[in-house]
Amino acid sequence: MELFDNLLLGLSTALQLNNLVYCLIGVVIGTAIGVLPGIGPIPTVALLLPFTFGLEPASSLIMLAGIFYGAQYGGSTTAILVNVPGETSSVVTCLDGHEMAKQGRAGPALAIAAISSFFAGTVATVVIAVLSLPLAALALKFTAVEYFSLLVLGLFAAVILAHGSVAKSLAMVLLGLMIGTVGIDVNSGVARMTFGVPALADGLDFVPVAMGLFGLAEIMANLERPETRQVVSQKLRDLVPSWADLKAAFPAMLRGTFIGSALGVLPGGGAALPPFTAYAVEKKLARDPSRFGKGAIEGVAGPEAANNAGAQTSFIPLLTLGIPANALMALMIGALMMQGIQPGPQVMTEQPQLVWGVIASMWTGNLMLLIINLPLVGVWVSMLKIPYRLLFPAIVLFCCIGTYGISNSVFNVWLMLGCALVGYFFIKVGVEPAPLLLGLVLGPQLEENFRRAMQLSDGDPSVFVTRPISALLLGIVVLLLAALLSPAVLRKRKQALSE
Amino acid sequence: MTLRLFKAAVAALALGAAFAAPASSQTFDRPVRIVVPFAPGGTSDILARLIAPKLQEAVGQPVVVENKPGAAGNIGADTVAKAKPDGHTLLLMDIGSLAVAPSLFPDLSYNVENDLAPVGMVMFGPYVLAVNPSVPAKSVAELVAYAKANPGKLAVANSGVGALNHITAVALARNLGIEWKNVPYKGGSAASRAVVSGESTVIINGVTATLPFVTSGQLVGIAVTGDKRLPALPNVETFKEAKLPLDDAGTWQALLTSGKTPPEVVAKLNAELQKILAMPEIQEKIAEQGGMVRPGTADAVKTWLSTNTKAWGEIIRAADIKVN
Repeated sequence: MELFDNLLLGLSTALQLNNLVYCLIGVVIGTAIGVLPGIGPIPTVALLLPFTFGLEPASSLIMLAGIFYGAQYGGSTTAILVNVPGETSSVVTCLDGHEMAKQGRAGPALAIAAISSFFAGTVATVVIAVLSLPLAALALKFTAVEYFSLLVLGLFAAVILAHGSVAKSLAMVLLGLMIGTVGIDVNSGVARMTFGVPALADGLDFVPVAMGLFGLAEIMANLERPETRQVVSQKLRDLVPSWADLKAAFPAMLRGTFIGSALGVLPGGGAALPPFTAYAVEKKLARDPSRFGKGAIEGVAGPEAANNAGAQTSFIPLLTLGIPANALMALMIGALMMQGIQPGPQVMTEQPQLVWGVIASMWTGNLMLLIINLPLVGVWVSMLKIPYRLLFPAIVLFCCIGTYGISNSVFNVWLMLGCALVGYFFIKVGVEPAPLLLGLVLGPQLEENFRRAMQLSDGDPSVFVTRPISALLLGIVVLLLAALLSPAVLRKRKQALSE
Repeated sequence: MTLRLFKAAVAALALGAAFAAPASSQTFDRPVRIVVPFAPGGTSDILARLIAPKLQEAVGQPVVVENKPGAAGNIGADTVAKAKPDGHTLLLMDIGSLAVAPSLFPDLSYNVENDLAPVGMVMFGPYVLAVNPSVPAKSVAELVAYAKANPGKLAVANSGVGALNHITAVALARNLGIEWKNVPYKGGSAASRAVVSGESTVIINGVTATLPFVTSGQLVGIAVTGDKRLPALPNVETFKEAKLPLDDAGTWQALLTSGKTPPEVVAKLNAELQKILAMPEIQEKIAEQGGMVRPGTADAVKTWLSTNTKAWGEIIRAADIKVN
């Protein structure tokens, strides 16, 4: 009963005309920056923070939240159409989404991405409403020990995720782990591989590395080929996914929503973890995993749902405990504080109309996104008609602006350009950069949590198996490993590779 | 044709500027930027964005806030240290970081004393010393007794190796003759989270980040720094009352500019800063940040810096804390 009271209270806030307008502004800005590669929600929210100062607290949070999940929608659009992930969270969507576009199925891919996102967004809103308190309590049970085990699981998933040889993806994970050690070590304060460059003190920023390896490298590779892109000139009829598409995508959507909702709550998991995990799960569950990377619709639906669900449930620790799950949530805390609201567990009881208003606005916002995005799919598809000579310089420009904007650093622009060269080399030798990125993101956390767990247990490694959540996670790793090494799977993998 | 038109336009603009220049014989002739050497959303960033519009009215030039995070604030500080010394590039940060930088970083790319000129203190925010409820202590005396009975059992979460709350924890332990683990985290909010979850057990951190957990009972407040008790925690004693050292530890946010800036420009900036800090709305917003306004001269900041650089430096060397 209390849940309905809360949701009604939230809806009464979210449905106020001015809040609907700010929600619309938020999701439109979000979609736009999501479509533009390189300009992410973090610099945008940072830039808009001062403008929210004069707004009501609920309105400003509703708008800023709209930018965040709107960007998740928009990010998949460029991922599908030009193989440039608009956001780091849509890296996985490139794999099958762009393949679908290449096969002339850009419309269905975009539509499935939008529908999956809407579905996940709707479910995640309910999840936030129902599970806020118990889920936040679970996340608080995660200490360094549980994080370490979770990260081990994530890295194993990365190896399974890569198509192609296990050796190559292992090598890439290791390379990622190694460049992840660059910077001042959190546990000891020792600077590693920084060569006295202050810009390296905090390690290599994930965004320029990802944009260089995935975005610019692909553009360079594209430039080599003659411009024979399939310019999609379908009618809107062809943009609507078929019944078979929907049927194939729906279970993936469900699983992705579940995975995203669960992983989004964990602080520090980051935007990359839910879609990567969902993709790995889809590939694992598929009857014919070799279709993945070649335009499998489940490979779009699962990660897209996971990514949107994760984006929304990452608000749970913020709204219920005042704890930021990621950098963007930290900005939201800044926005709250600028409004004179002390973020923390008391916000939920002291400002219920704010908390539930933001939660309810996520549903109205998702509905707006679906309404404005499905008709606009045609517009995004027509982007494919823009000739490379106009599109590529524009993308490169936006990438440079976006990279610079993260921390006003020229170093990051050079880093991105350097990674573009490395990424081009990877394309030429046929290795997947995705495991490298995961190694880079998860490696530092893996090390930090492992060493912290050891410091706190006075060097006793048995904590990893005596604590139940950690033991369960490590158990899954062992099962995965056993499955991977089993003769049956090895044979299947070889078959898949020889195809 | 268009080129000629363009040239004409440029000439007209230049002429306009030339005429405008003598008319405005003021100190500020182009946009002023306030560099915040941390990511958006933190205390320094919020203060800078609070002050910027007021300063803009005062100097008659646009004032923009620029976040230059990285290397514990050294990248942003270095930018200001190497900027043209005309008062158009300002730095807003916790100057505790500047006091420890020379001792922590042997190859610092700038000299805190010579390359940066203080403009004035902005605010002081006290620290709260708090523990996870699993620790059987409700006061400083009980905490010290527990720590002495269980050496090495308490784990103090800090915001990173060499962070001020790390050094404060080290100094406290040495002074009280107790032994506790110092567990580094990536930033203050990760550290508070870890103490709420019970991964670590003790935290010394800013009021803004810590107070909500104490009032909700997820953490137990033990003591606060600063002159007097916090209105929100009337039963929590101050460091001074508990006879703890470092009773003025906390966040000291100050405005600085490039080192060779002419004294009259610094004086003008300080005068404007004092006017801004006297505004009731600014004081209110700063109180919401858990801090109090600290009006004062540029020299007061200079003295603070040299005293604390020396004092923290001794602790850092004695405890052999290194970041390199």
